[in-house]
Amino acid sequence: MSARLSDLSRCFQGVVPSIIATADASGMPNVTYVSQVYFVDERHVALSCQFFNKTRRNLDENAAACAEVLDPVTLQAYRLRMKFLRSEKSGPLFDTMNLRIDAIASQTGMTGIFRLIAADVFEVLSAELVEGFLTEPPQDVPAGVSLAGARTEMRGLQWISERINQATDLESLFTVVLEALEEYFQFSHTSVLLYDETNRRLTTMASRGYGESGIGAEVAMGEGLIGTVARERRLLRLTSLEGDLRYGRAIRRESADRESALAAEIPLPGLPGAQSVLAIPLTVGDRLIGVIAAEDRDPMRFSEWHEAYLGIVANQIALSLDRMIERCNEMADVPVEIFAPLTPVHAAEECQRRVKRRLTYYKNDDAIFVDDEYLIRNIPARILWKVLGESQRTGRTEFSNREMRVDQSLGLPPVKDNLESRLILLKQRLVEKCPDLRIVSTGRGRFALRAEAPIEMIER
Amino acid sequence: MAERVATTRVHRCLEPGLSLLIGTVDAQGVPATCRAVAVSSDDDLETLTVYVPVATSHTAIQNLATTKRLAVAATHPFTNCATQIKGTSIDARLATEAEAAFVRARVDAFADVLESLGVPRRLTRSVAHWPAFAIRIRVEQVFDQTPGPNAGSRLQ
Repeated sequence: MSARLSDLSRCFQGVVPSIIATADASGMPNVTYVSQVYFVDERHVALSCQFFNKTRRNLDENAAACAEVLDPVTLQAYRLRMKFLRSEKSGPLFDTMNLRIDAIASQTGMTGIFRLIAADVFEVLSAELVEGFLTEPPQDVPAGVSLAGARTEMRGLQWISERINQATDLESLFTVVLEALEEYFQFSHTSVLLYDETNRRLTTMASRGYGESGIGAEVAMGEGLIGTVARERRLLRLTSLEGDLRYGRAIRRESADRESALAAEIPLPGLPGAQSVLAIPLTVGDRLIGVIAAEDRDPMRFSEWHEAYLGIVANQIALSLDRMIERCNEMADVPVEIFAPLTPVHAAEECQRRVKRRLTYYKNDDAIFVDDEYLIRNIPARILWKVLGESQRTGRTEFSNREMRVDQSLGLPPVKDNLESRLILLKQRLVEKCPDLRIVSTGRGRFALRAEAPIEMIER
Repeated sequence: MAERVATTRVHRCLEPGLSLLIGTVDAQGVPATCRAVAVSSDDDLETLTVYVPVATSHTAIQNLATTKRLAVAATHPFTNCATQIKGTSIDARLATEAEAAFVRARVDAFADVLESLGVPRRLTRSVAHWPAFAIRIRVEQVFDQTPGPNAGSRLQ
C-alpha cells in the first residue's frame, strides 16, 4: 500500500531512529540507523551527513537507497525507495537541520566535532506501508486539525493576545505569558529567559511547573540548547531528547581518545527526564530579546503545529516585552523628588527578634551569598549591595531607578539598561532565598527595601 | 590490549537486547532493508545465523537468492555501540520450532530495553516476529559502527 510522505509526518519527527540501506559499487550492502529523516516536500527527504561514513561513500558510488521509517505512535513501518540527488552545505534546509545538531553538540560539549557536514537530499521513488509488520492493524489516532479546531486556534490567539496586552508591567507580563502557555497549550514546564547584551548571557526571569523555580539561572549565548537557539535566532523543537543526547554521548565517548580538550557536558536545566524541548527565540527584527522554553517528558509533546502557532505568539510576546522594557527605561528617567520616610513592615522590635541573615558580597565573583547559599551576582548584586549599604548607613529604605542609573559603579549600560528586569530578578531571588529581605515597588520608577530581620553585611 | 577490545566489540553483536537490522541488494544494485529479531553463532562468528520475520522479509530473501550479499547491523539502544557484519549467505530456511524459544527470548530482551526507553510493551508486542526465516551467512568482515570518528573501522 503506497503512502503520501505528508501523511507520514510523525515518522519524520526523529522519535524512533530510521534505517537506511545503501550498497557500494561492488554490490555489498550497508545498513545503519539515522537519527532523523527530514521531510522536505512530497517527493523529497533529507538525511544529515555528520561523518564521511560508509553510507556517504556508498551514495557517491551508487545513488540507490532504501529507508525504513517508523510511526512512533503505532510502530507501523514504512519503506522508502530513494535516489540520492545532492548534498546541500548551506541554505534553509541545511540551517534547519544544523540547528538541531548544533544544539545537541553544544549540550554534550561536542561543538565542532559533532557537526553537520551536509544535508543529503533524496528523491523518494516510492513510499509503502510494510505489510505484515504489525500483527494487528494499528488503532486509529485522532486526525489533524479540524475546522472547529482552526476556529479554536483563532480564538486562542485572540485570547493570548488580549492577556498579553493587559499586562501592566514586566513582571505581570512574564506571569501572563507562562500562564497562557499552560492554560491554552497545557505546557506544564516553561520558562522565560531575557537576553543581556552586556554579558551576552540569558537569565531566567520566570518559570512555571518546576519544584525549584530556577529564576536567575543563566546560560551563555551559544551554550547548550537554549544558548544555541538564542545565537541562531531560530526555533528548535527536539523530540526524543534523551535519544539525541545518548547519540551525542556515544560520539563523545568515541572521540575521547582523539580530542583531548572536549568541553564539559552541560547539565540540562529544569525537568528531570525531559524527552522533548521547544525553545523559541523572542526577537524584534534581528534583535534578540530572550527565549521561551518548554519541556515535557512526552517525546511527542510538541508538534509542527506548535512551531507555527507559537512562532506567531512569540512575535507578539517579543514585541510586548520590548515595549515594556522600553517603557520601564523611559519611566526610570522621571526625577524623583520625594523619598518616603522609613516605613518598616514590622516594628523594629519584631524585626530584631528574628534570626539574623548574613549577606556576603564576594568581590572577585561579583556575587552575593545569603548565609552560605548563592543569592545573585553581577549588576543585580551590586544594586542590592548599594541599597543595603545605604540603608544601613542612613536608615533610608526608598530608592529611585534614576539614582541607580546615574551610579556608574553599578555598571549599567548607558542605553537599554534593562534595570526593571534586573530589579525583578533581584526581587524574585530574594523571595526564594531570603524572604526576610524584600524589594517592593513603591510607585513610578521607585522601589523600597524592606528588611524584616537583622541583616549583617560582610564584604570579601 | 587493542586486540582484546576489538574482540570484545566483535562479540557484542551476539548479546541479547540489541536492535538488529539487515541490508541486502538486488542484481541491479538496489538495496533493501528489514529488521531482524535474533542472531546466533555457534562457531565463534565464523558463521552467523540471522532470524528475520517471514512477514516482512520477502525482498531480502529474494535478494539473497540472487546476490547472496548481506549486511547485519547490531546496535545497543542505550549506548549506541554498534557493529556491522558483512558476509555471504550460505542458506536461508524457515526457522524450526526448536528455535522459537530462542527467538522469543531475544524479542523479549529487546522489548525490555525498549520499555526502559519509554516504548510501551503493547506496541512492541504488536510487531511481527514469528514465523521467521533463519539466514546463515559466512562472516567476511566486521566493522565498528558506533557513531563517531571510529565508525567504519574494521574490527575483524
